Amino acid sequence: MKVRVGDIASGRAGDKGPILDLTLVAKDKESYKLLERGVTADVAQKAINQVAPGPVVRYEVPGLNALKFVAPEALPGGIYATLHAGLHWQKTSVWILLDLEIGAD
Amino acid sequence: MGKTAGVRTVATGAGFAGDRIEPAVALAASGYVDAVILECLAERTIVPGLRALRDNPEAGADPRLKRRLSPLLPVARKNNCRVITNLGAANAAAAGRAIAKLAGDLGCSGMRVAAVVGDDVLALKDRIEWEEPITGNFLGARAYLGIAALAEAIEGGADVVVTGRAADSSLFVADLVPHLESGIDVLAGAIAAGHVLECSAQVTGGIYEPPGGGGLDAMSYAHLGYPLARVAADGSAEISILEDAPGLVDRMTCTLQLLYEVHDPSKYITPDAVLDFTGITFEEVGKNRVRMSGATAGPPPRKLKVSGFVEYEGAIADLEIAYAGNGAYERAQIGADILRERLKDWDEKDIQIDLVGVNSVLGSASPPTNAYPAEVRVHVSARCADMDAAQIVEDEIYGLTIAGPAVGCGVRSERRPRLDVISGFVPRELVKTHVEWSEAP
Repeated sequence: MKVRVGDIASGRAGDKGPILDLTLVAKDKESYKLLERGVTADVAQKAINQVAPGPVVRYEVPGLNALKFVAPEALPGGIYATLHAGLHWQKTSVWILLDLEIGAD
Repeated sequence: MGKTAGVRTVATGAGFAGDRIEPAVALAASGYVDAVILECLAERTIVPGLRALRDNPEAGADPRLKRRLSPLLPVARKNNCRVITNLGAANAAAAGRAIAKLAGDLGCSGMRVAAVVGDDVLALKDRIEWEEPITGNFLGARAYLGIAALAEAIEGGADVVVTGRAADSSLFVADLVPHLESGIDVLAGAIAAGHVLECSAQVTGGIYEPPGGGGLDAMSYAHLGYPLARVAADGSAEISILEDAPGLVDRMTCTLQLLYEVHDPSKYITPDAVLDFTGITFEEVGKNRVRMSGATAGPPPRKLKVSGFVEYEGAIADLEIAYAGNGAYERAQIGADILRERLKDWDEKDIQIDLVGVNSVLGSASPPTNAYPAEVRVHVSARCADMDAAQIVEDEIYGLTIAGPAVGCGVRSERRPRLDVISGFVPRELVKTHVEWSEAP
């Protein structure tokens, strides 16, 4: 069964210089296991690379049911160099992960 | 709730330069907050201060200083609540003098203000290890001060502590240190609590959507309570909001904010310690009350982080034009195609053309629209080497109002400076700080 990430987790996006920093927190342990299997660094990178470049590193924090995805080259030139409309588009970029569907068909 | 022996209560009155004024006043007025912290200095917000300082040695503090502190200082004084802030922005010394004068004008005679000075490391420019080469117009370099720089102000009993660039969490921890047992993991707990608090509303339900959707209602967001932490001598903390304030503090909001912008959660670098957050636990102990413990840490880094501020020639031109009515989407697509043709000589990496309401935020990661949009805006942003180039892009958007599909309107046009913030590292012993005291007349 497929599940939308945002139905079992919340997320938040942050940044520092060129680094995009995304967090997912699962609602419970069982959901964390689904996230851990379904949102690998590769899956996250493919999704993020649709709009921002570079590799993605994943960090696991099982004690807090949380995953972090850090993309060190995603915001070239920092957030003020963006060519998106207005500033701070990256704050909503966590929706790229929250709208993913994971799990077996 | 009231003041509890052995527990020090710190609270967030502001988490960014433009944050609300009234939460700080409410927290100070509650009577049990020992220190309210106003964190008002993002990477970018120091830049106008650096520019102002070049022309006037008394300029460079946060322009909202008077508006923010006028309602707060008398309430803080009455309730014996310390105020700690980075409203000094690019000029903490001048901010200290301005705050003392303001306090006097507000009838707070004798209020003691400590300005912590020394984040300006421009003179060390060549001894800083920059992560990227510095090009363009170099506006300044500021080091992130830690609790060591703030200690003299706290130990000296300042009513108001003002500085420029300091690590956000250090603003909280500096006040807590005299009340903590010794030990690096005790300090780690206090730093973690400061980190959870430093973005104000982001831990009390702001920008939070629970799994599956929902969130607070508009009136709750509009009057959201800001966070406070009761920190015990062992460094454990209870995160909460004022009892009558709307908001949400739970395991989810605390976890999201704990991990916010930390990159590797087992190695979060602050000037005061390198933290490991992976052993932290949150326990919901009541409505909007979460106990936090389990942070650990290693010793502080030998180098302090520095931000170097660079401005490049030219501007980023950012424009939009709207289409409405039946067929708006198709007309907008034609408008975008016209711009692509007219601006085809532009280097691809320096221009972006898309549709607001369709794909201007998340690009090709945007989900498909599931309803026909009643209006669509064509957006173009271009990196322009000079102001003539910016003018050309602006003229092309306006050109659509007569030589494009029927009919573009509502043009919005903005030119942003081309800024960059370059990180660097400097040996901490090279960063000399001192405290300048002043007293309200």
